Amino acid sequence: MEYDTMMMDGESLGPSVKISAADSTHVDFELSNVDLSFANSLRRVIQAEVPTIAIDLVEIEANTSVLADEFIAHRLGLIPLDSREIDQLNYTRDCDCDQSCGKCTVTLTLHAKCSSDEVMKVYARDLIVGIDRPNNHIGNPIITDPEGQGSLIAKLRKGQELKITCIAKKGIAKEHAKWAPTAAVGFEYDPHNKLHHLDLWYETDSNTEWPKSKYAEWEEPPAEGEPFDYDAVPSRFYFEVESAGNIEPDAIIQEGIKELQRKLAGLIHGLGENDEMNGDYDGPRSPDGMEGGAPWQDQGYTTPYAGAGNASAWGGGGATAYGTTPYGNSGSAGW
Amino acid sequence: MPVATKPRASSAEDADMEDATPPSAQQVIDSQEGGGPMEEDENDNELADEEDNEESQRVRILPGSTSTAASFEFLKEGHTLGNALRYIIMKNPDVEFCAYAIPHPSEEKMNLRIQTYDTTTATAALEKGLQDLEDLCDVVSEEFWTQREKFTVAKH
Repeated sequence: MEYDTMMMDGESLGPSVKISAADSTHVDFELSNVDLSFANSLRRVIQAEVPTIAIDLVEIEANTSVLADEFIAHRLGLIPLDSREIDQLNYTRDCDCDQSCGKCTVTLTLHAKCSSDEVMKVYARDLIVGIDRPNNHIGNPIITDPEGQGSLIAKLRKGQELKITCIAKKGIAKEHAKWAPTAAVGFEYDPHNKLHHLDLWYETDSNTEWPKSKYAEWEEPPAEGEPFDYDAVPSRFYFEVESAGNIEPDAIIQEGIKELQRKLAGLIHGLGENDEMNGDYDGPRSPDGMEGGAPWQDQGYTTPYAGAGNASAWGGGGATAYGTTPYGNSGSAGW
Repeated sequence: MPVATKPRASSAEDADMEDATPPSAQQVIDSQEGGGPMEEDENDNELADEEDNEESQRVRILPGSTSTAASFEFLKEGHTLGNALRYIIMKNPDVEFCAYAIPHPSEEKMNLRIQTYDTTTATAALEKGLQDLEDLCDVVSEEFWTQREKFTVAKH
């Protein structure tokens, strides 16, 4: 049963990564010698399941601006907040506290009132982050513009006021896109469309009418008259990950893989527990008992308990199920 | 190990039906003999039971499974895990067939079918698949990190 997962199908090398560009908001890389399914899992997980922190509850004490409360609440939610070392923050639902506490939330307050004749702009930098939090960067509004202002929240005219308390929570983009760590993820393979996964529309010739991907020169174009290889599978995947600012792009990938592993570990753990449970029921008890008096449910299936003493799955099992089990009446009870 | 259709599984399936069969624990089944009056209590128990287990028990074996051919139902999983797991399980030479499906897009359920040769069991193949995928994640994670470090060094 020993085999090397990566050594098969002519994949002589293990998975490899080639980074072509990286800065504070981007990482572009090529992932090769993995299956499409794995590359796609990585893409899906970094887009939807890497946890970040975002404003989730907004309490509005005063809003005399022209914008509706819910409109401002929505804008606040979309402000990227520093989510590095998010592991130090609990999910509110898992936290020991009653409603919210410093271990699972970060509080941000905003108080702005326009007193001048000019229009006042309220920016993300005006959010004041509460001190009760796991470390001193988590939940800080991300400010990357040269003026150091951050996202614009609202504009106020003379006399208008905003007084707001926000509670930021940990979450994932599967629940709401405001928790997305990525602004955009490019995912591409087979730039010459050798595998025919795309059916390109064309007037006369798809090759000349469609612009070439920048990765086209990374791979050999198909030879003239080359026959279609129906066994070919993609093995080189081009990722272009752009961070929303809340986590560095490299960390998004790392966290994504970690998140996948967390899923797997959870299942392995759950499966272990299941086995013990199965063990109980695999004992010397009457196999029919395990059906919980629902013989009707088994119709159409072979009995899974063939090994547990039911010599004939159909004849004997069926007969005893109705005749000799203590749940003989279950037939009528069940119906 | 004969992979029994887990008794929990069959009862869970019927849980929301009014005439739900009792939970599979022996004493509960016995009490069912008593007839009607107990029924409501039992349903309550079962509901509470299910809530307790919701976190821990996210995989169950669907009825009709044998030791070498089983269908598993995963809760709160989707294509992210399904496709990669299917691939890695199919890589196992002891596995004859593996496929996954999401029966309905608005239910957070993912079904995985595994049929193995006699050399192993479906549960073992699933466990191995999960482990292999985790190992693959380790390899990719490490590779990404080393390449990222190299890139930073090269740039300076």
